Amino acid sequence: MKLIKKQIPLAIVFITGVLTLISYYVPHKVSVDYIETMNKWENIVVAFAFLLGLISLFFSHYHKITRKADGWGYSIFVFIGFLAMVVPSYTSHGKQMVDGMLTPLGWSYKYIYTALSGTMFAVLAFYIVSTAYRSFRIKSAQAFVLFVAAFILILGKVPLGQIIWDYALGWTGQGVSAVIEWIMQVPAVAGKRGIMIGISIGAIVTSLKIIFGIEKQYMGKD
Amino acid sequence: MALDTSIIAGGWLAAGLTIFLFSFLYKDNPFFKIAEHLYLGAGMGWLFQVSVTSVWIPKIWEPVSKGELLVIIPSVMGLLLLTQFIPKISWLSRYGFTFMMGYGSGLAIPAGLSTDFMSQIEGTIRPFSKLASMTPFSILSSLIVAAGTICVLFYFFFSVEHKGHLKKVSNVGIYFLMIYFGAAFGNTVMARFSLLYGRFDDLFTFSGASYFYATQAILAAMVIYFVIHWLVSGRKPASEEEAA
Amino acid sequence: MKETLQKFFKIDRRWIFLLLAVTLFVPIVKPIGLPNKSISQATTRVYENIEKLPAGSFLLLSLDYDPSTRPELHPMAMALVRHAFSRNLRVGVVTYIAGSTGLIEELFAKVGKEYNKKDGTDYVILPYQPNILAVMTQMSSDMYGIYSKDRNGTPIAGMPVLKGVKSYKDMSLVVCVTGTAILDYWVAYVGDKYSVPVAGGVTAISQPGYGPYLQTNQLKGLIGGMKGAAEYESLIKQPGKGTSGIDALNLAHLLVLVLILTSNIILLFVKYF
Repeated sequence: MKLIKKQIPLAIVFITGVLTLISYYVPHKVSVDYIETMNKWENIVVAFAFLLGLISLFFSHYHKITRKADGWGYSIFVFIGFLAMVVPSYTSHGKQMVDGMLTPLGWSYKYIYTALSGTMFAVLAFYIVSTAYRSFRIKSAQAFVLFVAAFILILGKVPLGQIIWDYALGWTGQGVSAVIEWIMQVPAVAGKRGIMIGISIGAIVTSLKIIFGIEKQYMGKD
Repeated sequence: MALDTSIIAGGWLAAGLTIFLFSFLYKDNPFFKIAEHLYLGAGMGWLFQVSVTSVWIPKIWEPVSKGELLVIIPSVMGLLLLTQFIPKISWLSRYGFTFMMGYGSGLAIPAGLSTDFMSQIEGTIRPFSKLASMTPFSILSSLIVAAGTICVLFYFFFSVEHKGHLKKVSNVGIYFLMIYFGAAFGNTVMARFSLLYGRFDDLFTFSGASYFYATQAILAAMVIYFVIHWLVSGRKPASEEEAA
Repeated sequence: MKETLQKFFKIDRRWIFLLLAVTLFVPIVKPIGLPNKSISQATTRVYENIEKLPAGSFLLLSLDYDPSTRPELHPMAMALVRHAFSRNLRVGVVTYIAGSTGLIEELFAKVGKEYNKKDGTDYVILPYQPNILAVMTQMSSDMYGIYSKDRNGTPIAGMPVLKGVKSYKDMSLVVCVTGTAILDYWVAYVGDKYSVPVAGGVTAISQPGYGPYLQTNQLKGLIGGMKGAAEYESLIKQPGKGTSGIDALNLAHLLVLVLILTSNIILLFVKYF
């Protein structure tokens, strides 16, 4: 049992990992054929992965409804929202536009999905402002540096800010856009590049651990 | 210009859903909850319908019905992922996961090595090979990039033994990180506002006469709802919800 | 005095929400008339890379954004497509974000008509695919191995737009517009590996993170956020939602700065006086 529960899966990760890694460096026909097959397979396997999210969402709301838990009425709207996309897709055969006219599916996308998804993220604008007011504390030299960089970017990215800068600091002969370009191309590159190199080393080590079966948390417990 | 009825109806629906979601900023309420749950369902529904029409039908159903049976292997591996929900046989999902992990790791190693490691080191050093053609200011900038990158790396890798000169170097690294984070914060502000602008712009569109003033009508209805709710629920000061 | 200030500091945050809503909504109703003036080097590089392509070149667009980042990225994508069509380039579109399909449809319905471009002849929209790495790797040898039909189920083999296009070798430039890390994948798995020129358009949030790639020329240019969209619109001389967006953001940006300064001054005052 241990063989099919553990050793074969670990062998799969090792073999696919090593072969895929090698195929990156070996442009031979065999390796191209191998990677092409793997590409097609991977694309299909991943197309099922989202069902994990879908099923757990449905389970939890279905249970809420059957148990009449607090606020179960709202759970019905999860299913209504789902059907509001899937039913028009079926009737429109997955097409969103025919001859420049919106199909029911295109309509659902434009007026339901866009409004909901767009607004969910737009709300964050309000929180970043109130956080900026309440929690942006310039208490140390490091915080001050962060503040100066943020200040210049917030100011210099809009025309009104550029006018204010020219009015107050025009005598320096440096436009705010030039200062922003410099920040983005010099100190910010240094900061990000350090992070990037650090992360790449971490990612390579983790990938090697996965291939060699040292890191296997994703497999869950026995 | 008179609009099609379906477009006007769409405008009312979109304006309504948008205002319902925004109403949470004032106070939690049933309209927000309805819109929030619709969002969860609609997001899944969209992903589901795209997966069916773009992948399952053309990549699995059609090949299999034409007798290309090889695609059954990855489909089974994909379906095995779902055994996650049945504890007794959940180990079967490993066959799908290990395949995904192996493939992903195998690709991640060479790409990470060349793109984020070698190329970055090369990019830091390369400017110095053309010193002759550079202005003093760009030489200085290149030096700052090189020194800054090294300091940040010191901060990451020697954070355990912060002593003496090493500590100083890694402290300088922190300042470079702060500039990067400051720039990132400034840009985040712009990004968040842009998204809000997008929704407001749509609300403005729907507030026009051709949409029969959808935005104003729904906004007024929400205000009336909150006033009535306030009158009925005993006029508790609204700021009590603040803690949330 | 101190108490008044502290009260002011602990003001109900909904007043701040309201203030933001007003500062952002009013300029939409009544534009201020201060459009974007400066153009960054990174945006200009994208423009020049498209500008130098001869007519008929194949441009691959990877449009990977959904309605949640639409206000920033849609104007960008629209300006890019307008630029490509005005230069008579052939355009192919791929996507790895399910939520983007509707926006792509909307974009090409509008801009295609403006330039009188035909689906299948001048552009092709390929269907969503779930696994980006698999598709990217596959397209290096034979794109038809993954894509056999367009998003409406029409077979793509023999389409005029794809004449002579089989793999990256036959594409002049890849531009990825995204609010996710998909641009990183294009750089690492396509740009670096197969020496294909890759440029990008990203949200303002992720823009600073691409500085290193721009410096090494791993990225041939980058359009960042609403400002980048406005810059590109001015480069192609077709103002759109990016330009009007920047105008509307003017006051809100100043509001944030005023708020940060106010709260810090209050705190200083409370502490030392």
